[in-house]
Amino acid sequence: MIQLDKVILGDNQFFGINHMSQQKAQQLAERFNSISSICEAYRTAYDLGIHAFMLNSNDKAKEICDYFRAHRSEFPELVLYPSIPYPHKYANLVAEQGIVGAIQTVLSSQSAFNLLGFAGKGLSLLTGDVTKMFMMLIDVEMSIYKKLDFKVIYLQNIVTDLLLGLGFREVFVEYCRYVEKKFHAAPGFLTMNVPRLAAYLEECGIENAVLCGAVNKTGYLMSPDIDSYETYFRGPQRYAVSAMSIFASGAIPAAEAVNYVGQQGIRSIVFGASSRQHMQATLELIKGIA
Amino acid sequence: MKSQFNCATPADQIKTNRTLKAGIIGAGRMGITHLALLGGNPNVRVTAIADNSPLMSHVLTRYRPDIRLFGDYNRMLKEADLDMVVIATPPPLHTPMIDASLDAGLSIFVEKPFTLSAEEARRVTIRSQDVRGTFQVGYVNRFNDIFMKVKALIDAGALGRLISFRSDMFGRTVTQPSSGSGWRGKREGGGGCLYEFGSHAIDLMVYMLGKPSKVTGSCLTPVFSTGVEDIVRTNVIYASGLTGSLMVNWSDASFRKPANQIEILGENGKILADQHDLKLYLNHEYPPYVKGWNTVYITDCFNAVPFYVRGNEFTREMFHFVDRALDPAQPNLSGFSDATMTQEVIDMVFADAGVEK
Repeated sequence: MIQLDKVILGDNQFFGINHMSQQKAQQLAERFNSISSICEAYRTAYDLGIHAFMLNSNDKAKEICDYFRAHRSEFPELVLYPSIPYPHKYANLVAEQGIVGAIQTVLSSQSAFNLLGFAGKGLSLLTGDVTKMFMMLIDVEMSIYKKLDFKVIYLQNIVTDLLLGLGFREVFVEYCRYVEKKFHAAPGFLTMNVPRLAAYLEECGIENAVLCGAVNKTGYLMSPDIDSYETYFRGPQRYAVSAMSIFASGAIPAAEAVNYVGQQGIRSIVFGASSRQHMQATLELIKGIA
Repeated sequence: MKSQFNCATPADQIKTNRTLKAGIIGAGRMGITHLALLGGNPNVRVTAIADNSPLMSHVLTRYRPDIRLFGDYNRMLKEADLDMVVIATPPPLHTPMIDASLDAGLSIFVEKPFTLSAEEARRVTIRSQDVRGTFQVGYVNRFNDIFMKVKALIDAGALGRLISFRSDMFGRTVTQPSSGSGWRGKREGGGGCLYEFGSHAIDLMVYMLGKPSKVTGSCLTPVFSTGVEDIVRTNVIYASGLTGSLMVNWSDASFRKPANQIEILGENGKILADQHDLKLYLNHEYPPYVKGWNTVYITDCFNAVPFYVRGNEFTREMFHFVDRALDPAQPNLSGFSDATMTQEVIDMVFADAGVEK
């Protein structure tokens, strides 16, 4: 089983995302409006000893990756956990252009063109080979992380959970194979349905996946319910797990939140923090988990 | 650590040994979402899909060979031996598909906007009353934890007599001139901000407050689109004296994703709410709420759903439909008659703005 970093800084707080309150989200969006303010926060985190960052491939991620590449010597032990794709980009495209139109737009963008050329694109669209198309989209999304270190590539929960509901087994299998072969990374899945996904991946015969799901004592974003999660974590597990949404967007005090995750036997936490004090306090708490 | 504000909405999913057979018409973005959601419900199996896109046919044939595919929905309705159907096509196709599904005696879930005219909405609603089944329209905000909480507070009289309100919706769906080339950019196709976004804001108003008697001063303003509006504004008047406004803009790039906001003022206080939290100001204590400001976050009042795809409300909406299809005697929270009222208000706004459809 892959060894995940114990402490991973998430990125929702930098991109105006807060699941509890749109007002809080708005405040964060204002505070981290500039790339430099985000990079400063990353530097603070790194100096505190947090060397692993989860980074979604959103509009600002390219510039952040450029920054890390340009300042490589200041982040010698940096490990990224990319999460792809940026769902709202696709949601807006699909809303405007339909599914086929959105795929065409993404695959015919300049970066995709440089990456793929026309042959593959035309072929996949014609044959409806979703697996192939999906792999080409992964290439497009991953191009921004070039020459940076990462050990897991996470699929965003909206995509994971959609595919899980659709039961597109082959796409799961191919995604895992492709990520290992092409990127030498572990295939990761963000999900709001950890027990169900774990059972499904086992059924698909997938060995080496990494799961990242909400783990908090309120049961927030934990489907079908908190009891199923606790039962799952008590049993034998085939997949490495990172916990996210541990504070349930601020509803749970930090010490209680970290303690609860520790009780589930989980040793890797993705958390969001925007201030030095909050980063340091959470880091100390997580270090305290045996 | 749930607070005293727990919404206590029932967790849907009836226990039964029966498995319903579902068909989906239209395998676009919403059709695929519903296919995934239904994949998480043990009481239903999607056995047939009607869609004429070569890409989607190819995809489904390859990855879901257990589902029977039809190019013609009429054939599917005749041959697939279904209990229920999900209609997720562009809006102008809804009415004939609803009629054919009613002929087949099926429970129907149809995406919003319900129809393209109140007259059609009224007609199919009356027809549905002679068919045993449940009939639901996809106004998903009715299944959001926070908005359900707001509705319960209003109905319980927490605000007293209602005085004024606003119902707003913002998003960044159309932010470039080239946008809107498909059906969503044509009014006769059911496109434009009023049908696509405005219908949600109007339905939320109808859900909370009922149907108004009049709209006035309606403006439908294009920004990037040609042929349809990108901004909708109107004033709304109720027979009770309650007045309010609607402001809907799908060309506002400051919003990361679509967001509804409502504000309702009554004699005894005020509610401000969006999909994530509600703030309640009270002139007097209303247990468990204190005098002054109270805040309820979604983390205080959510109810976990059996399978999560795009947010609790989407699962709750679709599982509500499955439950009602199993037991049509139960009232539907987003039924055809509710959506007809919403459709009537949409028509009122078009008429007030001087738009001939």
